[in-house]
Amino acid sequence: MKGLALFAVAFTGALLLYATGDFPDWGSLDSPANGGELSTHYIKEVRKETEVPNIVTAVLADYRGFDTMFETVVVFVAGIAIIAVLRDFGNGSRGYPPALANNLPEEPDLIVTQTCNLVIPVLQIFALYVLAHGHHSPGGGFQGGVMLGASYILIALANGVEAAMKILSERKILLMAATGILIYSGTGLVCLLLGENFLDYHVLSRILPTDPIMARSHAMLFVETGVAFTVTAVMFSIYANLATRGTLKGGL
Amino acid sequence: MIPAFDIILLVFLVVTSVIALRVRDLLAASMVFGIYSFLICLLWAEMTAVDVAFTEAAVGAGVSTVIMVATVYQTARRSKD
Amino acid sequence: MFEITISIISGALICGGLVFFLGAAVGLVRFPDFYTRMHSAGKGDTLSTIMILLGIALYQFHDLFREAHSLEEFFEHFKIELLVAIKVTAISVLIMLTSPTSTHALMEAGYDDGMEPFTCEDEDADENQNGKESAGQ
Repeated sequence: MKGLALFAVAFTGALLLYATGDFPDWGSLDSPANGGELSTHYIKEVRKETEVPNIVTAVLADYRGFDTMFETVVVFVAGIAIIAVLRDFGNGSRGYPPALANNLPEEPDLIVTQTCNLVIPVLQIFALYVLAHGHHSPGGGFQGGVMLGASYILIALANGVEAAMKILSERKILLMAATGILIYSGTGLVCLLLGENFLDYHVLSRILPTDPIMARSHAMLFVETGVAFTVTAVMFSIYANLATRGTLKGGL
Repeated sequence: MIPAFDIILLVFLVVTSVIALRVRDLLAASMVFGIYSFLICLLWAEMTAVDVAFTEAAVGAGVSTVIMVATVYQTARRSKD
Repeated sequence: MFEITISIISGALICGGLVFFLGAAVGLVRFPDFYTRMHSAGKGDTLSTIMILLGIALYQFHDLFREAHSLEEFFEHFKIELLVAIKVTAISVLIMLTSPTSTHALMEAGYDDGMEPFTCEDEDADENQNGKESAGQ
């Protein structure tokens, strides 16, 4: 069996290595990423059409908005699936074997707790900065959301999962995750109601006090905020469920 | 793109991936996965794909390592094969 | 003159940081037990990272007195460089806070897990063993 697996891996690897010969060189002018009609349009027109300096954010949240919406839905579904598989409502009703070692000290460590208390506000502000500044620098909803989720994970690591659950309870997690999707698809739906295509943001200038170009830029921020909501909630919920075997009590 | 730096990164990538597969201690394996993610993040940053590098640093090297360590803590530390 | 001075100072900071990094790496390999290894890694790592980052922050100003056509242009450049320098300094402050804490947390975890520190008896035992081995040869 092992030999068969090795053969499969080696064969697939050789096939992939063979295929890399057909790739264009890094930064080559003929590569589809540099020479294609679509990417040329993105590179030349993004600044004029949306006023967003960071092309990646514009493509992610505007031109390929539909794609990103379902990416967010995938994250949401992953979070729901983790809860469905791991969540343990009774006391050990799932019948998991007991944890390996549970010699954790009762009291959280003072130095770690104090440092986390110092770092977490800065981390959360930086996450919001990353989220809101995604138009101008690398960043956006996914990165900002992951950092915001990491700040809650840090609280859980320093003070225990229960302390973090007091700040972001399971109810709030589910609400936040669903709200993110609602914000995203709601932005698209408003565009639809105003008589344009789904997620065609420029029509939002009718209800926002801006011109169509800036409306696209602002709508990207709404959409990214939605992504950040979902990602934050899902990241923390995955950690909380995995670290406590679904009981959301005690644990790591 | 600097070829020498690229080659060093790629060699380290291969080495860390082999270690992550071969090591029996799953805690060590998840740590090596963190190193692997961080090397990929460096590779992307070096190819000026900063957005992707940022995501990889936050998700791959940061949160998923923590999640894997939490999982190892709640299950078995030794791998069976 | 200004450029050379800044380059020398930041280069010295970065090289000093690399020397401390080397010390930390050597200590990590050579020291006998968990606690001394963590000591070398934590101290050397923190100091060297902070030194390298400060050197980089300083180097941002290396061509501050380049040819500027007006005072506004000079301040425009200065603003950008200052912003990058502040960001790098903020990273070094963050590392100053977090790196010793993570070292402490690891040490505490090792202590709770019952790691035995390296003591004088261990050293004597080591020496005796080495002496026996060399005598045997």
